[in-house]
Amino acid sequence: MDKLLRNKVAIFLFVAPAMILFTVVLFVPILTSFYYAMCDYSKVTRSYTFNGIENFKWLAKDPTIRIAFKNSMFFLVFSCISQLIMGILLAGLLTNIKKGRNFFKNVIYMPCVLSSAALGLLWAFLFHAKIGINSFLANFGIKGPGWLYETKGFITLPMWVIAFVALWQYVGQSMMLYMAQISGISQSLYEASYIDGATKVKSFRYITLPLLKPMIGTAMSLNAIGSLKFFDLIYSMLGDKTENLKMDVLATYLYRTGFSSKGGNHYGRASAIGLVLVVLCLLATVIINRIFKTENYEM
Amino acid sequence: MEKQKKKVKPSTIVIYAFLIFLVIIYIAPIIWIAMSSVKTRAQIYKAPFALPTEFHWENYQVAWSAGKLGIAMLNSLFVCVITLILTMLIGSMAAFAIGRMRWKLSGAAMIYILIGMMIPVHCVLIPLFVRFANLGLNNSLWGLILPYLTFSLPTSVYIMTGFFRSIPNELLESACIDGCSIYRIFFSIALPLSRTGLFVTGLMTFVANWNELLLALVFITDSNKKTLPVALTKFVSPYESAYHKMFPAILIAIIPTIIVYCMFSNQIVDGLTTGAVKG
Repeated sequence: MDKLLRNKVAIFLFVAPAMILFTVVLFVPILTSFYYAMCDYSKVTRSYTFNGIENFKWLAKDPTIRIAFKNSMFFLVFSCISQLIMGILLAGLLTNIKKGRNFFKNVIYMPCVLSSAALGLLWAFLFHAKIGINSFLANFGIKGPGWLYETKGFITLPMWVIAFVALWQYVGQSMMLYMAQISGISQSLYEASYIDGATKVKSFRYITLPLLKPMIGTAMSLNAIGSLKFFDLIYSMLGDKTENLKMDVLATYLYRTGFSSKGGNHYGRASAIGLVLVVLCLLATVIINRIFKTENYEM
Repeated sequence: MEKQKKKVKPSTIVIYAFLIFLVIIYIAPIIWIAMSSVKTRAQIYKAPFALPTEFHWENYQVAWSAGKLGIAMLNSLFVCVITLILTMLIGSMAAFAIGRMRWKLSGAAMIYILIGMMIPVHCVLIPLFVRFANLGLNNSLWGLILPYLTFSLPTSVYIMTGFFRSIPNELLESACIDGCSIYRIFFSIALPLSRTGLFVTGLMTFVANWNELLLALVFITDSNKKTLPVALTKFVSPYESAYHKMFPAILIAIIPTIIVYCMFSNQIVDGLTTGAVKG
């Protein structure tokens, strides 16, 4: 048996495809990306010239990156907080009802498996100026706001709208994670608390919440990385209007800098933005895990 | 005997009212788009929320052909199925070697693969695009399959490793005594025993890649090779007014997923949650 499991040829055959793919499609490009971030790409000669930290200097001065950074941070904070509250609330409610739990769970989870692009377009039409919610409000004589093109405010209205759509789409994921954790809590803990005279709300506060803590770290880092990578909804809801409306996030700005017809092909600058994004993702994960680091309780 | 009526607590009513309100928020947008998709443009414009009085099914035909949704769906299916099969095969092979076989570098290999989970796809977008353009892989579906496969591998290796480690030693040993080769042990014993893991990883891979937009948007410009999300975002724009063409397109894009989801919702939800918890 032992000899079989030490079979070098078999190990090599099993691991090689994954390792080769990883190296060629992931690690070499990451290293290249570091190099590109320090280069200027010329569209005409299709060549890269090394220019040191020029791209990062440009980034530091660029006004759009500040907007993109601000918006990305907004999505990060909003999604972490809102998903935490709504996720735990829904999980708590659904584990306490007797009838229809599966139905509600499945309905709320559904948008998670649907395409963000399609759902974003759907919501864009619902928030459309002429058809959709505004025409509904007009029936009552209310003039609805420009949901997707209002530019006033520190965090503009469209950002709030998209943040809520994102919450709508992905809250099912957090809810399911918390439900999975709750179902692992031993029933005897609750029974003991009821005997001691605790109400359902109290047992939720003093038993469920503390025992959920390890899962909060997991769910929140998923949310954080997801909201930093946020691209699909914004791209589908705002199209290429992000520039005029100052509604870029890091991912859309990267796409626009590198590939859009108007933005030109600044591969070097786009790589620099990509690096910023990676650093932010790593930072967010580390910080969240620091905050919610707990010993796993015996349940 | 008098039937004792069970008293319904007011808190229960509030909870159910809240949940039903949520269900409406979740389902109403989809019903709205379905209703609007059979109206004419003028009707949508005049009364967006009214029930359709006549059904213009030809809208769907127009959207299907004008948006090139048929070919886009086939492209998406091709990319996703190939990625799915390769991810399950390559991922579980690596997971078996890492989780069950004995070699010095297995821990290092695991870490190497797990780093991949932290890397967002945006970071390798430009280098990959440049490299693939040189290799002639841009505008090719294989150029999409390669990165999709690579980005699906970390989670599947991680999950499958867990499943392979939970197989009892005796099972593998008895197979060994019966004279199985290591390949036979893997394909006929370890893999079938980890069906749940394969299902979970397969599901995660398929859902993620079926909906992926950014890579597909950058790599594919040829209109005959676009995947479904790309074709949809190119065809539908909230800033145009041919509503009667665009609404059916949105619906066509999400209906297959909705149907599959409704049929297997419990397994899908549980499977994806297992995946997320473990990953």
